[in-house]
Order: sequence, then structure tokens, then C-alpha cells
Amino acid sequence: MLKILIPSMFMLLTTWTSPFKQLWSTILMYSFLVATLSLTWLAMPTDTGWFYINNYMAYDPLSSPLLVLTCWLLPLMIIASQNHLAVEPENRQRTYISLLISLQIFLILAFSATEMIMFYVMFEATLIPTLIIITRWGNQMERLNAGTYFLFYTLAGSLPLLVALLIYHSSMGSLSYLSLTSLPLTCSNLYADKLWWMACLLAFLVKMPLYGVHLWLPKAHVEAPIAGSMVLAAVLLKLGGYGMMRIMIILDPLTKELSYPFIILALWGVIMTGSICLRQTDLKSLIAYSSVSHMGLVAAGILIQTPWGFTGALILMIAHGLTSSALFCLANTNYERTHSRTIILARGLQMVLPLMATWWFLASLANLALPPLPNLMGEIMIITSLFNWSFYTLILTGLGTLITASYSLYMFLLTQRGPIPHHLILLEPSHTREHLLLALHLLPLLLLIAKPELVWGWTA
Amino acid sequence: MNPYILTILLFAMGLGTTITFASSHWLLAWMGLEINTLAILPLMCQSHHPRAVEATIKYFLTQATAAAMLLFASITNAWITGQWNLEFMSYSLPTTLVTVALALKIGLAPLHAWMPEVLQGLDLTTGLILSTWQKLAPFCLLLQINPSNTSLLLILGLASTLVGGWGGLNQNQLRKILAYSSIAHLGWMILVLQFFPSLTLLTLLMYFVMTFSLFISFKVNNSTTINSLSMSWSKTPIISSMVPFILLSLGGLPPLSGFMPKWLILQELTKQSLAPLATLAALSALLSLYFYLRISYAMTLTMSPNTLLNALPWRLPSNQHTLPLAITTSLTICLLPLTPAITALLTL
Repeated sequence: MLKILIPSMFMLLTTWTSPFKQLWSTILMYSFLVATLSLTWLAMPTDTGWFYINNYMAYDPLSSPLLVLTCWLLPLMIIASQNHLAVEPENRQRTYISLLISLQIFLILAFSATEMIMFYVMFEATLIPTLIIITRWGNQMERLNAGTYFLFYTLAGSLPLLVALLIYHSSMGSLSYLSLTSLPLTCSNLYADKLWWMACLLAFLVKMPLYGVHLWLPKAHVEAPIAGSMVLAAVLLKLGGYGMMRIMIILDPLTKELSYPFIILALWGVIMTGSICLRQTDLKSLIAYSSVSHMGLVAAGILIQTPWGFTGALILMIAHGLTSSALFCLANTNYERTHSRTIILARGLQMVLPLMATWWFLASLANLALPPLPNLMGEIMIITSLFNWSFYTLILTGLGTLITASYSLYMFLLTQRGPIPHHLILLEPSHTREHLLLALHLLPLLLLIAKPELVWGWTA
Repeated sequence: MNPYILTILLFAMGLGTTITFASSHWLLAWMGLEINTLAILPLMCQSHHPRAVEATIKYFLTQATAAAMLLFASITNAWITGQWNLEFMSYSLPTTLVTVALALKIGLAPLHAWMPEVLQGLDLTTGLILSTWQKLAPFCLLLQINPSNTSLLLILGLASTLVGGWGGLNQNQLRKILAYSSIAHLGWMILVLQFFPSLTLLTLLMYFVMTFSLFISFKVNNSTTINSLSMSWSKTPIISSMVPFILLSLGGLPPLSGFMPKWLILQELTKQSLAPLATLAALSALLSLYFYLRISYAMTLTMSPNTLLNALPWRLPSNQHTLPLAITTSLTICLLPLTPAITALLTL
């Protein structure tokens, strides 16, 4: 465990002491090294237990896929940011990279925390580098508003979580994950217990995001620079899902009745945000709403509390992380050429950038959950377990799948097919760096077709 | 100011606080508070600017009122119980009067109205002394009396956090923002006073460190409004990049050290079955966070439009002593992992 964490911490030192000409290559090399080493976490000797335990950090089949995703994403973020940061002064480039590395450190500590307060502190700690990345390096004036929405939505949800954790701690004595399964809160049907249940989940529902409290996400994703969008879509949303899965253990048996409105809200959100995607003019906003849609399905899968629900949620989180990040990278390739996020200004690109069209194709197929990709596996498992819970959810989830397919196809056809507008003849050809970036996103996704056991979690 | 006069005044301020620290007789405590007040008055109006003089007079009137109320309460206590000892106040009337008097002295809501106006009239250094040193003596007294009325302290605390949050939202003068921030933090300190007094001391000391960093950062940039902060990235780039962290620490965001007092206070409140109060206080901290965030946007996270002449000023070696700023900034950012050690140290 420490062989990943300590090198990540020392990468901060490397950022500031490398000679400037070799900065990006050095950091890229080290982050790839750390990412490769982190792949050892996927080899799980036991099926359900915790391993690599020390006093403060451990991981199990639930957290190891998310940890590997976090470590894998850092080199990808560095590759993606290289171009738009090249014009900045040296110290600002170093600062940006330091923010990305510190984000990775906090995320590793969050996913591997064994105690809920440690998880809470690291959960909140990830807000600060993300806030700085969005508000300092975003490109439009609205980024300040986006940063404020991001910070305050998340904090307004997570402060009641802190109080709820402290209440649990004062009555049960321990907040360690290892003992949570044997310490469920005795249900007493008071109104205060229901408020406590709500307080435990609200932070994660806001982070995921659930449909009613999702307003921060389109703003934050759109205004963030590419690395910010990538890390937000791929990992930070999954913090919400992961936290929900961890805390569900102590929330029984209240969850049986209380989760009902939230499952419905999540499924309704799948349809609503999917429909909004069909009317978007801003490419990044389309991808952001598609994230809300997928995470709504994840939220519903977790709230169901069945083994297939949890497994489906975890697989969909990993697959969606890779897919959504790939889509944001593709949108960024458009943005770097035209400096606009409007979809209709950059259409018919297959004529000009044919290989990029291949990546667009694969990423769009992954987004609409084409078999045999793991996206489909996650969605099918969640839809099946929802169907088992209640037949009528099939209407919502089926309609949701249809709308997802529609907007993914719409996005692909609009950006790639059709006649190319006259102002787009003189586009820069695709960089090898961009091809590498997308290949590194989509290759793990394709490889996961062969062995989804790696990201199944402990319930399947 | 004449260095001899300055020395006498600073020593007198120290003397006043020390007398209050060392006293167990109410008259001596009152005397220490009065010496403290009298010593700072010349410091406050040393520039003889009408605004400074106005601030001095407002400060004098409120502090004198508070001290008189304190004297009255201690006399009442002496009349009822026959002794002047600080710790043995067992009747509710003198205790409540003392609490309200001390609340006026430090500027808790609803007795806070003088604080922003007084701080606005002072320069940043004297404002720092007012926000930090002048709180020590009243807190020493508050920590020693036995509160008879549980809900009084809770109401004072919650009102202060709410007023501190809402009041600062409409300000663009930095000193008023710092005043409201002070009111909010004092509210947190009072909330936990009757349950776990060491946490009050911890919060007070953490607040001193954080607000010292902030005042000195503003002083180095010589700015008193949010607008004038926007030039600081070219004057002092490193201080500009650290100030968002100081501000977020004041807002109580983990993993910065400002989270430590809030966390421990929320823990104590939930242990005392005051969870709804804890939630309300935590959410009121979000109000203050909004204006801290706004300052950090103006200072670091955006770059205001300016000419080349302003963007690249000559950065000559400065003769400002920034070592204390460096120390307190490091403490403001990195102290959270030491929470067990600090808690153990303060609960001796």
C-alpha cells in the first residue's frame, strides 16, 4: 500500500525539482510507474475479505477497482493537459501538476480508508484541489459560479454526514469499516432516526449526483479544464457511490422503506437527464448530463441493496469512469481546435480526422452500453435487480436505455458524420498524444470484457 | 509613535491581561480588564484620523459598559454569597450578568454591533491586536465561571455563528469581513464552553493562528478592500497562493487545520445529544465560507485586467518581516494530523 502512496507523495517533490524541459516526461513516467504498480491490487487472494491491512488503510474487492482507476487516471490527465498548459509560465505548470498529484493522494487515502472519519476528511479534501483547478484554470467567466456551486452543494450535503457519523460513533463506539458489519444501529422508528438515515446518505447522493441535487455537475464539468473534467467524471463521482456502498451496511433496516423515493428519483433522473441530452448545444454539457444519467442508474442499483445491484453498480462505475473520461478527452480535442464547445460548429469531422472518428465511435458505443462491453454488464445487472424489486421499474429503465442509445448516437452522428462546414478545413491533424490518450482509455475497457471478475466487487 | 510610549502601552496591555489571568478576586479581574482597555485606546487612535477616533470612542464606550456590568455582577455576587472568589459563583443572577458582560466585551451576537465598526476604523495591526490579544482576558474569566444557564451560552453561540455568517456576506471591506469572521469563530468557542472547556481554548488558539496569518497577509499587501487584493498576485505571488488555503482553513474545510476545532466541537455537541444544534452550527459555517471563497477568488483564482506596468512590478527585496507569517501559515495548513497530540496537550 505504501509503495503506491509514498511515491505519489514524492511525485510532488519531483514536480517542483525537475528541470523544466523534462518536467512533463518525468512526471508522466513516474505516474505510469505508479499506475502499473497499482495493478497488483487487482489480484485478490480472498473473495470477500480485506487485505493489505495496516492500522489506517486497507482495501477489499470493492475499493481496489476504484483505486486502480484513480492511479490509472493520473498519467491520462497529464497527457491530456500537456497541450493547453504549454503556454503558461513554468511555476503555474508545476502548480497544476501538483494539484493533480495531490488530488490522487487524497483519492488513494479516501478509497483505502478503514475508518469513516478518515474517509470523510479525504472526501472533503478532494474538494480543494478540484475547486482550484476549476476556478483558476477554467476558461470561461462562469467558472467562478461553477466552483461555488460545486463546493457548496457538496459541503451542504456532507456537513450533516459528519454529524451523523459522530452520532453513530457516540452510540456505537467505533467507526471502523472492519467492525461495521457487526454493529448495526438498532432501529427505533423515531423521526430522528429517519433524519439520521437521510443525513448519512445525503452527501453521497449529492456527489453521485442524484437527479434533484445534480445542478452542480453540469456547471463544474463544463467549466473545468480537461484534467478537471476527467477526474470529476471518472473518480470523484465514484466517491459518492463508494461511500454509499460502505455506509449502507449500517443503515438497515430503515432503508427498506426510506429508500423508495430516492430510487424513483434516480430512475426518473435517468430519463430526464437523458432527454435533456438530446437538446444540448454544448458538447461538454451533453457528456455531463450523460454522466448524471448513468450515475442515476448506479444510485438506484446501490439503494436496492441486492448482490447484483452492488455488482452492477461497481462495474458500471468503473466502465462509466473510463468511458466518460474518454468522451471528455474527445470533446477537448474539438475544443483545442475550434475553442468552442458548440456541437454544430465542429461537425462532420470524420472527413478531416478519420482516426479520431474511430475513437468517437468506440466511446459512443461504450456510452450506449453495447454488448460485450462492461458498461452493458453493469446496466443489465442493475436493470435485472430493479426488475426483481418491482416490475414497473422496467418501464423507466428500458426507456432510459433507449434514450441513452439515442443521445449517444445523436452525439456521434452530429460530430462525425455529415458534411463538414466550410470553416473547418484548416484543422490541425490529430496528435499522436491524443491517440495515445484515447487508446489508454478504451483499451482497459475492452480488456475488461475478458475478465470482469477483476471489477466485480465482493457480492457476485 | 514615540517608542517609549509604545513600549509603555504594550507592556500595560500585557499587564492587564496578566493581572486577569492571575486573579481569583473579582475586583482584581475587573482591574486587569480596565487596564487592558485603557492601554489599547491610545494605540487605536494614534493616527488621529477622525474615523480612528470614532472607532476608539465606540470601543471605549462598549468596553466600559461591559466592565461596569461586570463590576455590578461581582458586587451582587459578593452581596449574595459574601465572598469575592471567581470560581464560587453559584447563583444565577450574577453568573448570567457576568456572562452577558463578557459577551459584550468580546463581541458575541446579539452584542456584536460595535465590532465591525470598531475594526473598520483601525489599521490592520491594531485590528489584529483587538481580534486576538483582547479576547484572551475575557475568555480566561469565561472559562472559570460555572455557567448556570445552559441555554444562554448555546443561544449566544448559535446567534454568533449565524450573525457572523450573514453579516459578512454584504461586505467588501476586509476589516469588516474579519470582524464578522471573528464573531462567527467566537460563537463556535462559546458553543462548547460548558461541555468541554479545553476545546474552547483549542478553538481560541487555532483562531489566533489563522487570523494572524490572514491579517499579516493583508498587511503585507497593504490592502483593505477586496478590490485592492486583486493586485497582490504581482506583488507577492507566494503569499497570494497561500491565502486561499488560509481562508479555506478559516472556513473549516478539511484537511486544513481549521477543521480541527469544528470537528471536535461537533463531536462534543453530539455526545451531549445536541445533534440538531450541531447541524445548524455546521451549516452556518457555510455562510462564512462563501465570503472567504469570494476573497480567494478576487485574490488568487482570477487575474484582474491590468496593464503591463501593473502586471510586472519590480519585486525589490522587501524589508518586511515575514517569518511569523510563514510560521503561522504553515500551522494553519498542516496541523490537522496532530489533532490527538494537541487535544491531549490541552486537556492536561
